[in-house]
Amino acid sequence: MQKDFVKFENVYKRYKMGEVTINAANGVTFSVDEGEFAVVVGLSGAGKTTVLNILGGIDSCDEGRIIVGGRDISHLSERDLASYRRFDIGFVFQFYNLIPNLTAKENVELATQICRDSLDAELALQSVGLTDRINNFPAQLSGGEQQRVSIARALAKKPKLLLCDEPTGALDYTTGKSILKLLQNKCREDGMTVILITHNSAITPMANRVINMRSGVVISNVLNPEPVPIEQIEW
Amino acid sequence: MKALHKNIIREIQRSKSRFFSIMAIMALSTGFFTGIKCSSPSLIETGRKYFDENNLMDIRLVSTVGFDDNDIDAINDIDCTVAVMPSYMCDLSARVNDAESTIRVHALPERTETNAKEINAVDVIEGRLPEEPDECVIDSYNFNANTLKIGDTIKFNETVSGNKTLDQIKHLEYKIVGTVRTPMYITYQRGNTNIGSGALAFYIMINPEEFVSERYTCVYVQTDAAANGVSDTSEEYKNKISEQELIYEELADKRVDEFNKTTYADAKKKYDDAIKEFSEKKTETENELIDGEKKLHKGELEADEKLLEAEQKLADGEKELEDAKNQLEEGKLTYSLKTSEAKQKLAEAQQQYNDGKAAYEKAQLEYDISISQAQSQLDRARSKFNTQYTLFYGTTKPQAETKLTLLKAAIDVCQEALDKTNERIRKLEQSLEPAESVQNKLDELKEKLSEYEAKIKEYNIQYEEGTAALTEGERKLNEAKQQLDDAQAEFDTKKAESALQLGEAKIQLETAEKQLEEGRFEYETGLTTGMFELQEAMNKITEGEKKLELGRRELNNQKKAAMEELKSSREQLESGKITAKTKLDDAARQLSDAKDMLEKIEDAKWYVYDRDDNPGFSGLVDDAKRVDSIATVFPVFFLLVSLLVCLTTMTRMVEERRTEIGTLKALGYSDAAIAFKYFIYASSASVIGSILGSVVGVATLPYIIVGTYGIMYILPDTTLVVSVESFIISTLLGLVCTCSVATFACLSELRIRPATLMRPKAPKPGKRILLERIRPIWNHMNFTSKLTARNLFRYKARFLMTVIGVAGCTALIIGGMGLKDSISVVADRQYNEISLYDQVYALNTSGSTEEKQYLMSQFHKDKSFKNVLLTNMKNSHASFGKNVYNNDMSIVVPDNIDDFKKMFVLRRRTDHSPISLDDEGIVITERLSQVLDCKLGDEISFDIGDDPYKAKVSGITENYANNYIYLTKNFYENLVGKPCKYNVILTQLSDGAIGNEHDIMSKWIQNDDILTVLNIQDQVDKITSTLQSLDVIVFMLIVCAGMLAMVVLYNLTNINIAERVREIATIKVLGFYNLETANYIYRENMVLTIVGALVGLPLGTVFSVFITFAIQMDIVMYPQNIEPISYVLGFLLTIAFSVVVNFIMYYKMKSISMVESLKSIE
Repeated sequence: MQKDFVKFENVYKRYKMGEVTINAANGVTFSVDEGEFAVVVGLSGAGKTTVLNILGGIDSCDEGRIIVGGRDISHLSERDLASYRRFDIGFVFQFYNLIPNLTAKENVELATQICRDSLDAELALQSVGLTDRINNFPAQLSGGEQQRVSIARALAKKPKLLLCDEPTGALDYTTGKSILKLLQNKCREDGMTVILITHNSAITPMANRVINMRSGVVISNVLNPEPVPIEQIEW
Repeated sequence: MKALHKNIIREIQRSKSRFFSIMAIMALSTGFFTGIKCSSPSLIETGRKYFDENNLMDIRLVSTVGFDDNDIDAINDIDCTVAVMPSYMCDLSARVNDAESTIRVHALPERTETNAKEINAVDVIEGRLPEEPDECVIDSYNFNANTLKIGDTIKFNETVSGNKTLDQIKHLEYKIVGTVRTPMYITYQRGNTNIGSGALAFYIMINPEEFVSERYTCVYVQTDAAANGVSDTSEEYKNKISEQELIYEELADKRVDEFNKTTYADAKKKYDDAIKEFSEKKTETENELIDGEKKLHKGELEADEKLLEAEQKLADGEKELEDAKNQLEEGKLTYSLKTSEAKQKLAEAQQQYNDGKAAYEKAQLEYDISISQAQSQLDRARSKFNTQYTLFYGTTKPQAETKLTLLKAAIDVCQEALDKTNERIRKLEQSLEPAESVQNKLDELKEKLSEYEAKIKEYNIQYEEGTAALTEGERKLNEAKQQLDDAQAEFDTKKAESALQLGEAKIQLETAEKQLEEGRFEYETGLTTGMFELQEAMNKITEGEKKLELGRRELNNQKKAAMEELKSSREQLESGKITAKTKLDDAARQLSDAKDMLEKIEDAKWYVYDRDDNPGFSGLVDDAKRVDSIATVFPVFFLLVSLLVCLTTMTRMVEERRTEIGTLKALGYSDAAIAFKYFIYASSASVIGSILGSVVGVATLPYIIVGTYGIMYILPDTTLVVSVESFIISTLLGLVCTCSVATFACLSELRIRPATLMRPKAPKPGKRILLERIRPIWNHMNFTSKLTARNLFRYKARFLMTVIGVAGCTALIIGGMGLKDSISVVADRQYNEISLYDQVYALNTSGSTEEKQYLMSQFHKDKSFKNVLLTNMKNSHASFGKNVYNNDMSIVVPDNIDDFKKMFVLRRRTDHSPISLDDEGIVITERLSQVLDCKLGDEISFDIGDDPYKAKVSGITENYANNYIYLTKNFYENLVGKPCKYNVILTQLSDGAIGNEHDIMSKWIQNDDILTVLNIQDQVDKITSTLQSLDVIVFMLIVCAGMLAMVVLYNLTNINIAERVREIATIKVLGFYNLETANYIYRENMVLTIVGALVGLPLGTVFSVFITFAIQMDIVMYPQNIEPISYVLGFLLTIAFSVVVNFIMYYKMKSISMVESLKSIE
């Protein structure tokens, strides 16, 4: 297990809103080891999403270094960033972002067709617990099912890193829990590095590492020696 | 300002591209509609204003006998007459540009008491009006512009169709001082005439004083038909004019009667007087001629006598010469006799000499033989002796001597041995040795002794023999020597004897030779003397002959002189005859002219014409109507597309503003207030677009279109007529459409409860499409294809909008190209498939039928022509019921039907089945039948000369350019009742002559019977070059198509992107590269473009047919022809437009931020 698999070194991100400059990331520094389940927690506007965007290669930083798996991604070209997203990152969105005109299976295949080494779409869907509804369109699926498809789509690419942006944000308590369970299992069983963003600090005990952010700065980065299974957590 | 209103303005500001798409499509549709709608009135108004300002006549009167002032007053007295301008006009011919051209000469319009304003006022384009009598102004649009310039002089032929030019105008030459434009001629057509080829090349104008005639040839009248605000181009004017024409025709009848009573009677009397005078003159001249002939006859007799005398003298001289010649012959005979005698003698001497020579030679030979015989005997004896001598002394003797020596030595040895033996014997005998041994030895020795004795004996014999042989040899040698000496002696004796004999013979020979020499000399001397004598005699004869020749020549000269005298007197008589005849003929011609004149006067007639009879006049309104009909296609098309564009755009907009609508509803705004925003949004885009489009359209299109027609019309600068009503109609229509669409889009949302509206709208669920049921295909498609397929069927309105728009684009391009294709094959089809003649030779119409047949035989002889056809080709007009065909058209009457078939292909257009031209009826061209609206079997009327005839249509033939009525000779002659007069020869070049057309033409134009030559290829070239004006229309259609495609595709892509920002952002996050992402959207565009373009192909065909039909003219029928390349180009250009739009949208797509994907659904 590689140490400091993901590493942020003094990362800055500034947005100009007219006259005002907002420092969305104001010198963020942290690291996550390989195979860890890391939760980035903070209030709205703390800079968690910025961190996730930069890490996911969908946004760039103004200053600092981000190293993923030993590779500096902070100064990649647009095309290299696209390749990075394509081969290294699995992204799970808060609102699933499934293509409405493709079935569940096709949505997963949408990701696998652009990868060199990918999981079979049906297997990926099975692994997230979806078997009998793989030929349905997103509109015919429940929120939890859609999020499973979204996770399956992310995992099917065999990414180095799974990034989840409030994956339970749009789900009810039970469904949310089952999604978190799924993610935790993936981390434990398959050794997948997962970085999850949430504003709900109640779920932090399930993580290996908890990174706490406020106003664009990491205020704590704590290792949890004994992660609690999600079933035991209530909120 | 209310917050709600601010919201509207901000909405527009924020969604510029959406606002722009509605605006652009509205601008495009109204722009094209109003622009083209204004073109037609502009074209008409340009013409109308021109006619009005230049006082174009309403009625033109022409009379076969002209008009006098009384006629003018009578015309002026008619109520509806506003102004009258009497004027002059005639058709003359001149050589321009190496060809005979028929030129119409007009008098310049002028003001008189009866017309305060000039009628048909001219505009000077270049130069000035004539000031001097012999100056003229010329047609500004004449085809000879490149050769005739200001400053040049036109020289008219002295006669035209048998009439003297100077009888009609005062000068033969006129200097060109300017070019003019007259409302009488508004197209390139110059009308017809009955002289020359029948076609007028151009017109010139000279001062009215330049016309010789006392009577006016035409009268221009302005009536009150166009007064009181009636437009010159309206139907009302037309009706009024047709009524007024009747009034003038009535007057015409009256005036003609009047004319017959007065002028005709005078002319008749003059004619009778002239006939009397003529017959008197004739008798007088004939008498004079008879006298002359008598004198000539006498002269001839005298000359004959003199000639006879001189000939007798000459015959005497000849006889003398003959005698001298005979004498010479005799001399020659004597000479040859003597010569042969001498020759004989000489031969004898020669013989003697030859004999002597032979004898000598024989003696010589004998001598040689005997000497050589003796010599050889001698030689033989000598050689024998020599041999013997050599043998004896060289071999025999030394050998014998050596042998003898040896023998002697041997004998000696033996003797010695003998001696020794003897000695030993003795010793032995002495020794007394035992008897036996001694005896033995003794025996032995005795034996030896006897042996030696034998040997010696033998050797002695041999020696004896040798010595004997030697002696024998010596003897023999001596014998030979003796013989040799004998032979020598004999030889010597013989030689001496023979030499003596030879010497004698030689002496004899020499004597004979001398004799011969003498004889020869004698002979030669005799020969020379004889020859000299002969030569002298001959010289004498030559002299005699010379003298005779001189005498003969003298006689000839005398003869010639006499003959010449006779000839000149005969010629004098002959010329006197001719002069007399010419004078008589002139008088006769004058008489027949007078008769013609009288006949013409006899059927005096007035013709009443209106403006429609001006060449090309009626075409203007037709052309304007044609433009107008094209204009009607556009709004239908564009309105449909703009409706769909608005619908999709507004629906999308309302959907996007769903939450806002919900919120406003929740806040308590009324439905109307909420809808107001969208209403204003749509209507303002529509109105701004319409105004912008109309302004641009009106400011450009009429100028382009009228300008294009300007190539065919001679009009002043375009007068723009803004058709406000069409602007209002199109704007209102656009407004109503967009607003109703906007309201419709709103209504569906407004009906929903606010609570639902506040929640995001459930995305339109994905649906399985029909294609998925076809498993084999579906399974082989990749995701983007599947997605594209599903999306296509998901948004049907968008599908329809794009397909219609793109199909429209393709159709417009194909329409434009097809138009060009159709028109550009006219010349090819007409002149390579239908009319197969290459040249048209217009004949001098005054020639007789025999002269024409003779000319034809000359044409037949020319190897440059494959076929030649004598034809009657005359301009004509036709009508059927109410339909009148007023443009150029010809009747064609061929002399020979077989040759006709080689040059004119008569066939049905649809199936190319041949149509036969027979005596049953006439064959007319297809376009003519269309204009007249007549069918097979209908009886149509048409003009031959000035008279109308009726005939049954028995065939309608394929034809594209111009119109023809074909008749057989028999049918024509039966119809008209007069023999057919031919006026043109049509020729088909043989293969070898192609390329030399102009050489052939310039060769034939030298012929006096040929007036003009028209080369069809030149005609085709000219047509082809004028067709280039069509490129403007084609280009306009393509630009229009491009804009349509752009707006539609831009809008489609715009909506597509706006609607799928989230999707695009998501797939970008998934790691799609930019190009892959673009493909995701473009595939849909491309499929729609291709479907649209495919739909556009048949649509384009229909459109092309429509346009071609709409622009059809009376004189041209356009074949329906679209080249495959036009389809390909239409298709490819459409794709190209689509690619351009996609390229523009690529950057928009690229700039979509991926962060969008993380946002919650609004």
